Amino acid sequence: MLKDFLEGKPLGHPIHPMLVHFPIGFFVLSFLLDITTFVFPKASNLVLASFWAMLLGLVTAMLAALPGFADYSDIRRDHPGKRTATTHMTLNLMAVVVYAINLALRFSADVSLRVHFFPFLLSLAGVTLLFISGYLGGRLVYDDGIGVGRHKRHLPPPRDTIYLVPPIPGADAVFVPVMAAQQLRERETLRVGIDGQVMTMAKVDNQIFAFQEFCTHRFGPLSEGKFEGFNVQCPWHNSCFDVRTGEVTNGPAKINLKTFKVEVRESKVGILLSRETKSL
Amino acid sequence: MKWLLDILKGKWLGHPLHPIIVHLPMAMWPGALIFDLLSKWQIGGNAMVRLSFYAISFGLAASLLAVPTGVVDWTGIKKEKPAWKIGLYHLSLNVVVTALFAINLGLRLQDFRDASIVATAPLTLSIVGTAILIVSAYLGGRMTYHYGISVARMSKDEWREIAEACGANLPPE
Repeated sequence: MLKDFLEGKPLGHPIHPMLVHFPIGFFVLSFLLDITTFVFPKASNLVLASFWAMLLGLVTAMLAALPGFADYSDIRRDHPGKRTATTHMTLNLMAVVVYAINLALRFSADVSLRVHFFPFLLSLAGVTLLFISGYLGGRLVYDDGIGVGRHKRHLPPPRDTIYLVPPIPGADAVFVPVMAAQQLRERETLRVGIDGQVMTMAKVDNQIFAFQEFCTHRFGPLSEGKFEGFNVQCPWHNSCFDVRTGEVTNGPAKINLKTFKVEVRESKVGILLSRETKSL
Repeated sequence: MKWLLDILKGKWLGHPLHPIIVHLPMAMWPGALIFDLLSKWQIGGNAMVRLSFYAISFGLAASLLAVPTGVVDWTGIKKEKPAWKIGLYHLSLNVVVTALFAINLGLRLQDFRDASIVATAPLTLSIVGTAILIVSAYLGGRMTYHYGISVARMSKDEWREIAEACGANLPPE
């Protein structure tokens, strides 16, 4: 599948962060060469070298954009990183436009002697955009874990959190039907929020299990995890838990997951929230 | 010394520093190979020869910062973790690549100002260096994207708050 390929699943490594080294590096190189022409006005061919570096930067930037779009589309809509990702994408598209104009200006001008003021200003703007945007991209990976461990999983992650309200708040045990759970395929997951509790619902071995969404190590998203036997593996640092009991089966996590009771009532699959699970 | 380690780890930035710095050698050295090939196909003339020279120099300058930041990140990994060993390979290969491009640059010093086409020896070094670099960079990427090294290290308090608000069992602080 094209999307799996763009997300780097066959490679075991997302493609977008791999390719972005090139535009970042080449645009910065081009900028430094521009500055060098001011410092050493007599050095020959620097202006032309800067042009070539920028051209390669633009080509690789457009190549990097394609897997970037695929990565973006897989971020859950209510993920705290989604807004950062939107800003990251917008700034990058702006940088591409700025550099396209920059290249066109340099191409049409007599570029062999010196860098003109306006194209230089565009380079300054481009590099600034790139620094902010690159920083945000890094935050997406290192703060929000976007793309981390995604290649280990074959099915797409949940696109949204399904928020449900218990029918009789405050009762001893409440049955909350989860409609979408009916259609779950093997090893597919839902991210469900009921009464302040966010959980993963997963179908494993034709049964549905529910457990807390957040890994007990560094809070990675278990609804995006990989399933093996009755184990769910956190995409971030590979902690494993038994989906039936919530027990840790492999570290670095040390604390067991909270699990929730899944029941079928009147042929509806749902979560049985008891007062104990609420107060735990 | 702790302040220096914190700087190298990128704590002041809220983002590990090593993966930022490595964009430069990672782009410059394969870039030098591309420029060399263009030069070999007689595109760009002396501008291309110079561009390759500047790219290698810039990459070397950046690697002066890429190496210590990488070593600091690597020493933070526990030795029994699989990522430690990958980190060791990543580190060793990068040292080899850096040495190869340093030699490569030395070979170019004589004639980069006037030559209009790249010589065979430096071109070969660019090919070998880039090939090793790609392997090594892939290993570096695996450390982040497969083993989660540095992932959620600086943001873990924010995630803890979210997880706590969502009723999760939490590890002790």
